[in-house]
Amino acid sequence: MAIPSIKSGALVTLPELRPSSPFFNQGASLRVTGNAVKLEVRPDRRLQEYTVETAIAIIADGNAILPVDTQHLRDLSFRIGSIYQFIGELLIQPGDKAMLQARVGRNVDGIDLNLYHQSLQLLRQFQADHIKSSST
Amino acid sequence: MDQRFLNTHLKLLAFDLLSLKPTPSPSSSSSDSTISFSRRGALVSRAETLGTVTSRDHKPSKFLKFTVDDGTGCVTCVLWLNHLTSPYYSRQSPPSVRLMADRAAQFASEVKIGAVARVRGRITGYRGAVQITVSDVVIEKDPNSEILHWLDCLRLARNCYDVVGS
Repeated sequence: MAIPSIKSGALVTLPELRPSSPFFNQGASLRVTGNAVKLEVRPDRRLQEYTVETAIAIIADGNAILPVDTQHLRDLSFRIGSIYQFIGELLIQPGDKAMLQARVGRNVDGIDLNLYHQSLQLLRQFQADHIKSSST
Repeated sequence: MDQRFLNTHLKLLAFDLLSLKPTPSPSSSSSDSTISFSRRGALVSRAETLGTVTSRDHKPSKFLKFTVDDGTGCVTCVLWLNHLTSPYYSRQSPPSVRLMADRAAQFASEVKIGAVARVRGRITGYRGAVQITVSDVVIEKDPNSEILHWLDCLRLARNCYDVVGS
């Protein structure tokens, strides 16, 4: 009953996702949260023989934005203004343009984003302390 | 070894759960293969995890294997669905076994990729990795449930689980 190893999506906020960030790596598994501000349909240029369109959701948190490729999320409907959370892999394109290739997504309207950001800091501190004390 | 938590479902973050070490159970006899796990000198055997379901491998009438990602790691969970065919359940009353089978089938139908699941069960090992053998599943609808679970795990670790027993 082997199951392929699934990577955990590291919790990251959009403002943290800058080229200098330790999370900003090609193929990094991440979990991001943001407001859907735009939905674009782009041709998928990887397939030359077929015309395939990919839905890109643009999510924002403050001034930070991130495009999210949602082609694998068939059951998720998007509404501009709603808050979404995605887990997936980061694709970094030339010019340090990042896009998340989402494998999981959900609507999280009603989430307390202030509580989320504060709890995330507490969680990271706890994890760092725990790993430090376990290794000593 | 500290046995205060042996029969409690510990609320653990995935990175913490996945770092548990297998330890022979004090109650096991030579013919009993029960294994417990230890965390900071305390024996633990049950856990509760909560996170987003990120994979699902369903073998009808056998098992549902799925992963729960809480942002600190991925926990593999195994929900057995073989109540009506396994000899393990043959000594129990058929109505009870039927109820268990129906309950497990209901859980399996609710575990979908993208859902947030609160999973309780026995901590077990498979090929050297820690996993949960599921006893119950609750699908969480509140978008803040994961945040509250993180805070519960932090509070319990600091005020209870990490406090050295007398």
